[in-house]
Amino acid sequence: MTKGKIRRIINITLLAALLLIVLTPVWWAVVLSFDRAATTALPEFSWLPHELSTFNYKAAARLIDLPRYYLNTLFVTAVNTFVSVFFAMMCGFAFAKGKFWGKKFLYVFMLAVMMVPFESRMVPLFIQYRNWGMLNTWFPLILGQFAYVYGIFFARQNIAALPDSLVESVYLDGGGVWRVFFSIILPLSKPVMATLGILQAIAHWNAYLWPLVVIRDSSKQVISVGVALFNAQQDSVYYGPRMAVAVLSAIPLAIMFLFLQKYIVASVAVSGIKQ
Amino acid sequence: MSNKKHWKMQLKKQLRWYPFLIISVAALVLFVYIPMGHTISYSLYNVSIVGYGEKFVGLKNYRTLLGQSQFLRSLWNTMALTVMGLLTIPLGFFLAVFINSLGKGKTQSFFRIGFYLPNIITGVSVILMFQAVLQGDGGLLNAFLSFITGREISVRWISDVRYAKLGATILWCWMNTGYSMLVNLASLQSIPSEIYEAAVVDGATPWKKIRYLTIPLMKNCFTFLLVTGVINGLSRFTDLYILGTNSSAGLPGGTLQTILMYIYQFSFEVPNFGISSAGSMILFALVFVFTMINVKMTGFLNDEESN
Repeated sequence: MTKGKIRRIINITLLAALLLIVLTPVWWAVVLSFDRAATTALPEFSWLPHELSTFNYKAAARLIDLPRYYLNTLFVTAVNTFVSVFFAMMCGFAFAKGKFWGKKFLYVFMLAVMMVPFESRMVPLFIQYRNWGMLNTWFPLILGQFAYVYGIFFARQNIAALPDSLVESVYLDGGGVWRVFFSIILPLSKPVMATLGILQAIAHWNAYLWPLVVIRDSSKQVISVGVALFNAQQDSVYYGPRMAVAVLSAIPLAIMFLFLQKYIVASVAVSGIKQ
Repeated sequence: MSNKKHWKMQLKKQLRWYPFLIISVAALVLFVYIPMGHTISYSLYNVSIVGYGEKFVGLKNYRTLLGQSQFLRSLWNTMALTVMGLLTIPLGFFLAVFINSLGKGKTQSFFRIGFYLPNIITGVSVILMFQAVLQGDGGLLNAFLSFITGREISVRWISDVRYAKLGATILWCWMNTGYSMLVNLASLQSIPSEIYEAAVVDGATPWKKIRYLTIPLMKNCFTFLLVTGVINGLSRFTDLYILGTNSSAGLPGGTLQTILMYIYQFSFEVPNFGISSAGSMILFALVFVFTMINVKMTGFLNDEESN
């Protein structure tokens, strides 16, 4: 065996051991969720349940209305992802291919928002929605998505890279800017939209603070807040049902990851490096 | 006459672009610029609940905050947790170096996806899970530490004031190292291989290659991760709020109260909008400074000037 090959085997062994350590908590949570012995005290660590049972899932089904939270979150996530990506594409197109008065100003006006963390304007925003009578509805969750600033920046960069000749050819055919947008830009931007869509879907599925602030009614709540409320409401800690809830709320994103892993990993990596 | 017609056509040509922008611009005005203006003005008023007897007090709210031990502690907690959380950068870097050395292929993508997996688990599930992992009695971390040291270890990683920040950092690293690894790996793979080949000819050892070639070439990537890590750390809220059983007090005994939890407490639990807005402004100032550093150092927006 060559030196390189030995090094490679050591390398793989090391990484595999590390990965095992990192992922053990996940496996343990699944084990606990099927373990009747996981009650108020944690049972000793084991690779398989001490007492295999679906009791915890039945208890969870009784204690928390997960299907309701699923549907709410799915709806809000889908709407938000669509709205934010679509409007980011519109703005990105105008900034990349348009020539109009005030373009530079508007671009800076939009990108400057990246420096204003959401949290620092949360309280006035809450008061504004209260005055509009929109608290306890999904409007506060959705309306802010009409301007996805990072998406605008990302879309502009990618659309700018498309050749101008494509756009010109539609003009010569007598088509307008809207036709360029729908028949040229959008079809050619599928990878960009997929990247932004994945990033947005993960972010919205995990949204916590803002739904916590604006939604009071449990039947309208999203999954993260619903699960956390369930977690805090229990008088004493029952680990089994708690882990069952944790497993169930992780499933949708896990399924998405299973099918889209390559795209997700690529999207996240791309978002981190300068294009 | 023809001049006027030409001008009209030009105007028409320009006007068709605005509909693409108008909705997003309106959203930014309504949901970002106006609320931010209100944050600035509330921070200068004595106002507990908006609509009931506001009184202009100038910078008094800021003075109150900076003289208040609870706020200063939340500021300190946030800084400490943020700095400890930056551990994800070296962790992600070394993971990426090992994964990258496997060469492109199935093994590499297996580890890449495996180590990224924690990031894809719904945040709240991770927190519920770690309540059990970090538990003093029967928690997984203690079981693991007892196993490798051969001694009985029963640290209460969340409820013991001395260890709470460490426990919170372990949770943070578990949740965020995968992201750091991905960004590091993407950056590593953008380094042209010829550079390494030349070094091998010169007889460089693997460690020397990392020390003198890779690390300097990755400066932009580290800056990006550093700045985004600081920005995310400064607005840390969700995990610590849920760990403290849905309370912004930052249990145990306030050692885990971040600035944002402080703002939340004085906005929604003990409403005092003047104080919480001044806190928001301080958070804004911190994030603003780090975003500017990011823009300057990584040249994030540089290519914008070209058109």
